[in-house]
Amino acid sequence: MLNKLKSVRFFLTVGLVLSIAFAGYAAYYKIRYWGFNFTPKQTTDVWTVEEHVSFMPNGSNIRVSMARPLSTAGFKVLDEDAVAPKYKIEKKTERIEITSKPKSKLQDIYYRVLLYDNVDSRGKTPAEKPSAPQKPIMDEQTSVVAGQLLEMAAQREGDPIQQVIALFNQNPPDETVQSFVPSPRTDKATAQAVIDLLALKDISARMVRGIKLTEGKKTLMPDVMLEAYIDGMWKIYNLETGKKGVPSNFIIFQRGGNSLVDVEGGTDSVTKFSVMKSIRSSFRMAGHRAELSHSRSLFNYSIYNLPLNEQNTLKWLMIFPLAILVVVLMRNVVGIQTMGTFTPMLIAMSLVKTGFWPGLICFSLILGAGLLIRAGLSKLNLLLVPRISAVVIFVILIMQVLSVIGYQWKWNIAVSALSFPIIIMAWVIERASITWEEDGAANATKEIVYSVLVAIITYFVIVNEYIRHIMFAFNEFNLVILFIVMLLGTYTGYRLTELTRFAPLAKKDEKHV
Amino acid sequence: MFDFLKHFATPSQLREAGVLGMNRRNYEIIAKSNRRRLYPLVDDKVQTKKLAAGVGINTPHLIGVIDVQNEVDRFLSLVEGYKEFVIKPAHGSGGKGVLVIKSYDEKQFVTASEKVLSYHEVYQHISNILSGLYSLGGKYDVAVLEEMVHFSNQFQDFSYQGIPDVRVIVYQGFPAMAMMRLATKESGGRANLHQGAVGVGIDIKSGCAVAAVSHNRPISFHPDTGADLMKLQVPFWREHLEIAAKGYEMTGLGYLGADIVLDKYRGPMMLELNARPGLAIQIANGCGLRDLLKRIRNYYPKGLTWSERVDYVLK
Repeated sequence: MLNKLKSVRFFLTVGLVLSIAFAGYAAYYKIRYWGFNFTPKQTTDVWTVEEHVSFMPNGSNIRVSMARPLSTAGFKVLDEDAVAPKYKIEKKTERIEITSKPKSKLQDIYYRVLLYDNVDSRGKTPAEKPSAPQKPIMDEQTSVVAGQLLEMAAQREGDPIQQVIALFNQNPPDETVQSFVPSPRTDKATAQAVIDLLALKDISARMVRGIKLTEGKKTLMPDVMLEAYIDGMWKIYNLETGKKGVPSNFIIFQRGGNSLVDVEGGTDSVTKFSVMKSIRSSFRMAGHRAELSHSRSLFNYSIYNLPLNEQNTLKWLMIFPLAILVVVLMRNVVGIQTMGTFTPMLIAMSLVKTGFWPGLICFSLILGAGLLIRAGLSKLNLLLVPRISAVVIFVILIMQVLSVIGYQWKWNIAVSALSFPIIIMAWVIERASITWEEDGAANATKEIVYSVLVAIITYFVIVNEYIRHIMFAFNEFNLVILFIVMLLGTYTGYRLTELTRFAPLAKKDEKHV
Repeated sequence: MFDFLKHFATPSQLREAGVLGMNRRNYEIIAKSNRRRLYPLVDDKVQTKKLAAGVGINTPHLIGVIDVQNEVDRFLSLVEGYKEFVIKPAHGSGGKGVLVIKSYDEKQFVTASEKVLSYHEVYQHISNILSGLYSLGGKYDVAVLEEMVHFSNQFQDFSYQGIPDVRVIVYQGFPAMAMMRLATKESGGRANLHQGAVGVGIDIKSGCAVAAVSHNRPISFHPDTGADLMKLQVPFWREHLEIAAKGYEMTGLGYLGADIVLDKYRGPMMLELNARPGLAIQIANGCGLRDLLKRIRNYYPKGLTWSERVDYVLK
């Protein structure tokens, strides 16, 4: 018999451990791939980058080719679309191509990308090994200058790339440096000069074009950075400061020498970039994230893919197990006897909807009025079912009266009367009044107070928004609760209240000792 | 500041005293000894009576059973020829819904506590029983009419109205612990400890009082009659134990509480059996049940008849 008991406990403990492991892994998975959070109302920044290309057609076929942002960087592309009426739009891996037959009027093409900051994948750019850098073809004089520059660079601080970059950022500018860069000096030209110099040192480097995301930014030029292959990895450098690493909020559109936007069949093309920031709930983003991390089908079969209405219902249901756990603890470990097993839990649920004090006051009002009416009913000697039904109807009437009075007197407390479960209220009244008649007012009051006490404790557990969020977002924890509840089903220790109930037995024992 | 702690014992103190807690009772004792399908045998008083007759246990005579509403007005013709009678719900517990009529004519009914009820009130009471007011879980019930117990003068001073009864805990057929429950003014003539009745622990070998409690605290004298509770001795003790022990054969319940009353004319009679007897009996006896039950489980001989088991307990 004892062995059997042990094996039941063993089985349940194994179940508990497995469920904790499962819930833990699921939580990790959801945070990692779906972007879930332990805190409610977590938001994610979503950036909209708009590329506006306008040009005048020159009469031949039009072909606009634009670089697409690369998802591999710290940002992921949530959505992209091109607004180009009557154009043929074709998406290629790195570029989007928009083509059309010749047109006559000024053309406006918009390409919009929605990005979000995917913190997790930061700095994990895969490094494909570059071929040896192509040596720039230089005339004799330029080669001499280049040699001088490299010697100058060697005196400077930092790694070889930073040394070269520093050359171009001297203040006042060095004349030798100036002569090396074609004027007018642009970011692009500087970058090319640095790349050429580095090539002489056998370091592969390339230009990186992208947009630095700052709210409300409008610019005509993309931001240019330098990427160099060093120590087996591609590393990004700021062309002005020489600082290593991708700056936060920098979205790379394109690597290498190609231009961001090519327009064929048009003249006077102007490209404008604008950046907008918006905030979305992390939760709403979960689906997109799941898609990007290739766990979409798993996500589809999760509760988070349901319509919002159903999700809200489930969010409500997901705190039941926790409330049940509280009731089980109260009854089997603390040993408080309540009216009906789950009555306190249901009262607590109502309190969550009404707010604590309004709910409690309202509950007392309904209970008090109900008990008075029930006392009158008991004089009529009605049969059980009709009597209980009468109490139910009276409860409904009391709720009506309370909510009407509450509304007229602008007394919000009373309006919450409608949130209490009618049948439960009726049974509480019936039970209390029978206990009152049979075991006296003291016992009835005790039962009510204990039930309300358990309800209040349950309330404070489930009212917490964090707890509610966690139970919903990481619903696997309900499995853990299930096993805890079942394990409590094998708990054979004393209840807290028994420590005082049986105290006389222990005290006597002490005297003998 | 920590005065209230005086009223608490530590779990280890209770364990040392061998106290059986509610959880352990439910999990280790009741769930393992009492198969659920046996419960209806003791939950239904009509069933219990039939089974008791089968093994030769005395119970109050059954006058009749009312099981449908339109037969309620037949109750007067049923009790014809009886000077007094008791109405109780077949599925009641803890004395709820028990009405003892000690004299009556067609219009007035006098209860054991001298309350006068009208015909209509008695009629209503039976209706309430049928509608399940007193039954476990509020299920429809039947009303049992039975002969009144004439309780022995021996206990006259020990009880304030109501009938004192003896509760014997029987484990694996062995009477393990006993107490007598005495009604008080506070309990309203009923013998339930939580309603304020007095519990007197009875030595299982001699039938003599060993300790008494009221509201969980030790007492020595009856709060209403002032009788010295330590002088209480239950006559026909062996017969009490025999009834209790037979309860095991009768129901197959490994753990049960037998409620036994002493009738002036017919001797000890079984009132009812309980498949989930409470734990207050430990307080009344000043002794825990846990070690006692363990001893019975591990060391008491198996396969004895009811009379051999009583012999074993008494020796």
